[in-house]
Amino acid sequence: MIDEDTLSSIEMIRESAQGVVSRDDLGRIRRLRYTSPGFDRAVWRGMCEMGWPALRLPEDRGGVELGLLSYVALAEELGRGLVPEPLIPASLAAALLDGASLDRQLSGERLVLPAWQDARGTLAPMGPLALDGDRVTATKLYVPMAAGADAFLVIGADRVALVEADAPGVTVAGATLQDGGSHATVRFENAPAVRTRDIDPSEALANAQLATAGYLLGVMRTAQEMTVAYLKDREQFGRKIGTFQILQHMAVDIALEIEVTSASIAQAAQQWDAEGATKAAYASISRAKARASGGAMKVTRDAVQLHGGIGFTDEHDIGLCLRKAMVEAARFGGAEQHAARYARLHPMTEEA
Amino acid sequence: MNRDDFARDDYNALSDSDFRDLVRRFLAENHPPEIRHPAKRLHWEEAGPWYMILAEAGWLAPNWPTEHGGMGLTPGKQLIYVEEFEKFGAARTPDHGMMLLGPLLINYGSEEQKAHFLPRILSGEHIWCQGYSEPNAGSDLANLRTEAVPDGDEWVVNGQKIWTTLAGDADWIFCLVRTDKTGKKQQGISFLLIPLDTPGITIRPIINLELDDEFSEVFFDNVRVPKGNIVGEVNQGWTMAKNLLGFERIFLGGPRQASGALNKLRRLGEHYGLLEDPPFVRAFTGFRMELEDHQAIFSRVADKLRRGERLGAETSFLKLNQTSLYQRITEYGLALMAEEGSHLEPLEGSNDLAMPTQFLNARASTIYGGTTQVQKNILAKAVLDLP
Repeated sequence: MIDEDTLSSIEMIRESAQGVVSRDDLGRIRRLRYTSPGFDRAVWRGMCEMGWPALRLPEDRGGVELGLLSYVALAEELGRGLVPEPLIPASLAAALLDGASLDRQLSGERLVLPAWQDARGTLAPMGPLALDGDRVTATKLYVPMAAGADAFLVIGADRVALVEADAPGVTVAGATLQDGGSHATVRFENAPAVRTRDIDPSEALANAQLATAGYLLGVMRTAQEMTVAYLKDREQFGRKIGTFQILQHMAVDIALEIEVTSASIAQAAQQWDAEGATKAAYASISRAKARASGGAMKVTRDAVQLHGGIGFTDEHDIGLCLRKAMVEAARFGGAEQHAARYARLHPMTEEA
Repeated sequence: MNRDDFARDDYNALSDSDFRDLVRRFLAENHPPEIRHPAKRLHWEEAGPWYMILAEAGWLAPNWPTEHGGMGLTPGKQLIYVEEFEKFGAARTPDHGMMLLGPLLINYGSEEQKAHFLPRILSGEHIWCQGYSEPNAGSDLANLRTEAVPDGDEWVVNGQKIWTTLAGDADWIFCLVRTDKTGKKQQGISFLLIPLDTPGITIRPIINLELDDEFSEVFFDNVRVPKGNIVGEVNQGWTMAKNLLGFERIFLGGPRQASGALNKLRRLGEHYGLLEDPPFVRAFTGFRMELEDHQAIFSRVADKLRRGERLGAETSFLKLNQTSLYQRITEYGLALMAEEGSHLEPLEGSNDLAMPTQFLNARASTIYGGTTQVQKNILAKAVLDLP
């Protein structure tokens, strides 16, 4: 069971997040879509002032030292508002930074974004980082919101290197995403690293994976709220459509998916907080991210269906939820990749 | 083996982990191995010895207070008991007396009723069955029409109950009967205890899809029952039966059936040499993750129970989720067996591989205890506040 202190700190985090994240007015989210860098630096600094990227860090590194359960609750609140500011990638970078570059990351003065991915559908860097002295050569894919980065943290399986975004040898090729944000392929050719550090990124990546699951849960909740409100408001055949049994049952299926996803994520977070980075804890995170990725797609698809014709317009906000799910379901590993990792961690020979 | 080794004056004084160990050891040392992981509900003939072992050890009624001969477990300890029984694959006994009637008598029964009936449940002298559903009162249970009319010192009962689980093994039936036809239909229902050897009662087994006679129809033709056999106030039966939430509801939402089916699926995969076959591994992994997710949501509801909170609609979520998973595992397993899935006899004569039986058994899980569709109707209103 979750202790009272943790519960009340989670409650506080949720409340403070609700002060920043608007659930009702998605106008800001809409305006930022398909712009560069796709988020608001002033809003990001505000989040830093609240201490959000420092949430998981130990106190001696300037952090708040809260558990993963608290972090996923915060991510869920962000997901509820479809917030584009890159808290999860920036927190991943923060977990691997140190010294002055960490301080500036936490204050929001500078934004370092992580570049870890070597291939499509992977969950971790595929090998060690190639360094020649302080020079980095690597091609990193799908770097989120790369256009807004002051620097990149190039991440290999064994170490990381901090490279300024405008350093020689760095090229950024961006792609616009379904939700109006972006990611980029970033090439580092003999690019000078400001600093390197030997560190295994696995734990930080696992935290980002579960936080993304939390974010998706928030998106699911918003889609559900919009949909239930619509069912209570819209009339056809002289009745509120929410009186139709088949639509009620679809709405209950959405609610059930949300209940299970929420329990799955909370279990994975509690397990990680209780036993640390064990094999079973990694497996639970994969299970929860697989559930959240699949669940968010199902819920937002059904939410569009329950809205009928208006749900297919860009003008209605329910579409923002579907497009957000399309992006975050795949980010930090989709359902298939996480199911495969779960199967590796819990082989068939093991009793269920 | 000495069953006294497992008796404690106050089980709640044990730490959770000590109690869990005790339950595990109890099962390992006492449960008859031949009825572990049963594919279907066992008759008295098979499950009776296990009932008597539980009775003798004082382990039959985890949910009853000690003053009535139960184990007096807190909700938290009850959950551990249920979890370990499920994990072990312990067979369900004919437990209607312990699970449903006992708590109702303890809450609403007269002193005489408690003194008479409770010890007889615990000793196995009385095996009870439940008479709620009727041909025209299934999902709409309040529509029940079996009526009890007062006549002198007796009630005269006429009507018919159906889907009565293990009626043929029982000595007594507790029934919801109509005692008032005026007013709202929920308000004219009483709770009546009837010995099954009373003249005028006919029990007719129904052969179900498993070709098993687990259910019966029970007919009442001018059955005379003493006035004192009514529990609580006349016309309060509906309210009493509805208020009985807790142990039995959480029991229905546990991962037991899906977990049993998944183990069967693994054994089937092993039998067919598929444990490294990528499509099989992918499907199995998906189910396994879903089962763990179910355990997560089950524990969350269990924690609420531990904190002493009253359970509401979330127990319906548990049932919906578990039964859907249970069914899908058996459907996949059946398809995996290809032609062999159509055989009436279990593969290799082994219950461990009897997936077609499990598939048929799973059909019932979304029907009994409130069909999936009725549960969704209720949730739409109770949780989503839809009109």
